[in-house]
Amino acid sequence: MSLLNKEYELYVSVKPVGREIRVLGIESTSHTFGVGIVEYSGGKVKFLANTYSQYKPTSGGIHPRESFLHHVNNAASVLRKALELAKLGIKGVDAIAVAVGPGLGPCLRVGASLARFLSTYYGKPIAAVNHAVAHIEIGKLVSGFADPVIVYVSGGNTMILVQKNKRYRVIGETLDIPLGNLLDTFAREAGIAPPYVVEGKHAVDICAEWSREYIALPYTVKGCDLSFSGLLTAALKIVRETRGDKEKLGVVCRSLRETAFNMLVEVTERTLMLTSKNSILLVGGVASNTELRRKFEYIAEHYGVGFYGTPPEIAGDNGLMIAYTGLLHYLYGLIKEPNSVFIKQRYRLDEEEYPWLP
Amino acid sequence: MATIEGQNTILLSRGAEAEVYIVDFFGLRAVMKKRISKKYRAKLFDEVFIRNRTRVEARVLSELYEAGLSVPSILFVDEENGVLIVEYIEGVRASESFEKFDLGKATSISRRIGGFAARMHSLGIYHGDYTLANVLLRESEVYVIDFGLSGYSSDVEEYAIDLHLMARSIKASRPLDAEVLIKAMLDEYGSHYRGDYREVLNRMKEISVRGRYIDRELRKSIMRERYIA
Repeated sequence: MSLLNKEYELYVSVKPVGREIRVLGIESTSHTFGVGIVEYSGGKVKFLANTYSQYKPTSGGIHPRESFLHHVNNAASVLRKALELAKLGIKGVDAIAVAVGPGLGPCLRVGASLARFLSTYYGKPIAAVNHAVAHIEIGKLVSGFADPVIVYVSGGNTMILVQKNKRYRVIGETLDIPLGNLLDTFAREAGIAPPYVVEGKHAVDICAEWSREYIALPYTVKGCDLSFSGLLTAALKIVRETRGDKEKLGVVCRSLRETAFNMLVEVTERTLMLTSKNSILLVGGVASNTELRRKFEYIAEHYGVGFYGTPPEIAGDNGLMIAYTGLLHYLYGLIKEPNSVFIKQRYRLDEEEYPWLP
Repeated sequence: MATIEGQNTILLSRGAEAEVYIVDFFGLRAVMKKRISKKYRAKLFDEVFIRNRTRVEARVLSELYEAGLSVPSILFVDEENGVLIVEYIEGVRASESFEKFDLGKATSISRRIGGFAARMHSLGIYHGDYTLANVLLRESEVYVIDFGLSGYSSDVEEYAIDLHLMARSIKASRPLDAEVLIKAMLDEYGSHYRGDYREVLNRMKEISVRGRYIDRELRKSIMRERYIA
């Protein structure tokens, strides 16, 4: 199922613009270099292109320099492919959007440099987008939920948020490592990755199929905040003791996944009760995990609220979400001069007000 | 169970983890907390979870009650079914009324909240969800309820988290007076806590900068204090 060329109703009301507006978005915060193009006309948003190239380490995790080199080598071709797909020249684009953070410094610099160049050379306005906000915004657009409880889980973030007074408010978040990082680090240390994801399934999910049993692992919820580091240490300790036993590794994977997901679902439930919202939106790279979605579907049904998990195409890092959020920036006049666009490795999404939020 | 769920049972609230009813317990007005089984959890996890949390909550409540702290007394426990029945306390949740009080009253309540935490922590117990929503006010008395996330620990981390959560809750309720109120809470905490108060206070500061992507310099400067002090 492709989301390309489908139309989505823009949920915020902006002054009508007589013509079509096209925004090109560049994503390069971590392992993915992506370019997306969106078109806005008559209150509707259409996705014209979403192309990317991913850096896949052959051993270990993401090396910032290697990822940076990958982006440098692939930036031009990914950009060209996106424009071809959208049947556009760069002149047909009204604005450039770029993810300026949070992310890895060297990687961010590739996207930012390209964006500044395109902006300067072709005279296009530029929008500096927060990567985390973009994940959420595209989820809201595609789901049609205007004011959900937002669960943002990826390799770099684990947060439960709501919108209030034009800002994203963090109700709960991880106090140490994010959920995606937990799964990746465990898989790497246990020797079942890389590759981390095979045919859309994470190494931990594949390994979890090797057993039907469970063991108890540390479960750490503090108010609405989560902590995964103790869970990781405990799980790895058991793995080390049972080296080589496939069945036992399966038990650990299954229990690790179950424990971590239960923690996340529990705080989401609590947030749902606390804020009385009527929908749950699951976004970020881990949102495409089927087991996690199954758990969220259960609680959504239990509380009679809506649930939407972003499909893999836009769940992982992609340029489309940057382009769309850039469009929001553009429509609300939050555009910048190229010489004032800087990367920001630590860029929290609750730092700033966003005028389109309720 | 069947005898309790009969007449005079009113659903008080439906939380994320449990349903809370007002029941008639042998002629006594009581609160029944029934933990709900969750379909999204694997069966084993669900059972262990419900049993453990009910057991810990019951233990903590009875220990605090015996030590003379203002918590509801326990009337009945059924670990297997996740049922806990406690005394009903007539009062209002501080989360609903706290913002309406004059500063003097709010300060006195903050002080009591700090004192409660200090005495609880001195027993090696943490609350786990120490917010205004779990503080009941009956006239000038301060009761603390819902020990569903509580536990035993000698780690200052847990104590600091309690204070951190309460400080955040006070800030959300009265942003303008927060500084005075939190100071009142911490001062009272300091004069009742049996361990090293400064250690808890430092850890509390550290927790507040622990989220992801917090300004690096700010975090470094606070983390450094931990080793210098």
